[in-house]
Amino acid sequence: MENKKENIAIKINHVYKSFKLVYDKAYTLKERLVRHHNKANYREVLNDINLTIDKGETVALIGVNGSGKSTLLKLMTKIIYPTKGNIIVNGKLTSLLELGAGFHPDFTGRENIYFNASIFGLTAKEIDKRIDDIISFSELGELIDNPVRTYSSGQYMRLAFSIAINVDAEVLLIDEILAVGDQHFQDKCFNKLAELKNSDKTIVIVSHSLGTIEKLCDRGIWIHNGKVMMDGNISDTIKEYIKNCG
Amino acid sequence: MIKEIKEVYKYRELLKSNIKKDIRGKYKGSFLGVLWSFVNPLLSVLVYAIVFPFILKSSQENYVTYLIIGIIPWTFFTTAISQGTTCILVNAGIIKKVYFPREILPISIVLSGIVNFVISCLIILLFVIISGIGIGINILYLPLLVIIQSILTLGIIFITSSINVYIRDAEYIINFLTSMLFYATPILYSSDLFPENMRWIHTINPMAGLINAYRDIFFNKVAPNLKIITIIGVISIVILIFGYKIFNKLEKGFAEEV
Repeated sequence: MENKKENIAIKINHVYKSFKLVYDKAYTLKERLVRHHNKANYREVLNDINLTIDKGETVALIGVNGSGKSTLLKLMTKIIYPTKGNIIVNGKLTSLLELGAGFHPDFTGRENIYFNASIFGLTAKEIDKRIDDIISFSELGELIDNPVRTYSSGQYMRLAFSIAINVDAEVLLIDEILAVGDQHFQDKCFNKLAELKNSDKTIVIVSHSLGTIEKLCDRGIWIHNGKVMMDGNISDTIKEYIKNCG
Repeated sequence: MIKEIKEVYKYRELLKSNIKKDIRGKYKGSFLGVLWSFVNPLLSVLVYAIVFPFILKSSQENYVTYLIIGIIPWTFFTTAISQGTTCILVNAGIIKKVYFPREILPISIVLSGIVNFVISCLIILLFVIISGIGIGINILYLPLLVIIQSILTLGIIFITSSINVYIRDAEYIINFLTSMLFYATPILYSSDLFPENMRWIHTINPMAGLINAYRDIFFNKVAPNLKIITIIGVISIVILIFGYKIFNKLEKGFAEEV
């Protein structure tokens, strides 16, 4: 039993999540006082989710828009907290929900690498070690010492992705950001993810590019209306998903 | 509590980069750059130094130096409070998308305030030297005063920043309260000029005790009243613990509310 525990990367126990449904949010004191009698409506986004993801697994979460995939990912990173139930994560976790968080346009690409990587919890020493990899992966060359505001949006995303992918976490959560840059860079990102997968990292991906994730992942979890509809081999899950929702 | 402190320590690089962004990013693009950190308090001193001698028949010697010693710590306090109150809302973008210990945001506001304050202390030193007051040994109490003021400020903005996420009026109420507090603190005048029957306001206002202590070490060149300083220190720690408890309770909803 103990041995088994060590192999678990993410354990989700009976997780429920509901969001308060507000049409016109009472932000000010006056509104609060005037409308305090209004009953709040809740919308259940996740309904009794139970999942166990082992270390080294590459898992895809699929489902239609609004099915709760991203909410589940946000719960795993502790950006939001479950209404009921709990989530246990073993190992250093990094989520790539947004690229370029904390970028400051007036600072150079190099300085922004430090800003952005520090949001992921890296220390200066750890960033020093990775900075050459990050710069070479981004293929920005000498542009790296120019202010980020001079970058094109493609270059901006390339830098951001290079940082995120080089953070070197044990558990990696990715939300629909595979489509970054031109074809050449996309291929590179795909290869990097495949490399991470082979180096025994745990990866959870939310994506609608079914072709890409079929190649990359082993396991597919189909979520619909806040419930796990199917959990199994990626190809079977995708087939079932397309049959029902395609 | 220890778990949380460890987590903040793990993210210390984020603190550093926030401070760097704050100090160097603030004046980027302006002509004088970081010099504005010096010029700003000097300009506000100028306003008071011109206006007040007309209204108040101030018999205070070296009034400008006297003012500066009050205004610079006060600027440290109010800037941190006003930036700190909005710090969660301002960073809504990253709060919604990235996990990091949320405490980092208020803490980095106070830390960059300290850096700014320490630089501004050079202005105080310049003025006490020029005015012939000179520098005494009691200036060594400065770090103690800075630490107490920082603890007090951090405690307050833990409370105000988290409440401001849920009730956005907080920001305006806080602004009003700090401008009231300005006049209830002996900055423009000395404590003895305050009407006797209202002196209690200074007793319960921790900033009053702190400003008087800054005056003691820079202007009067004596040791601050250690009994008062200890009491303020204890109160500040209590506010910090209480504030952190509130922050900790409310932070779970930040990503959904901002």
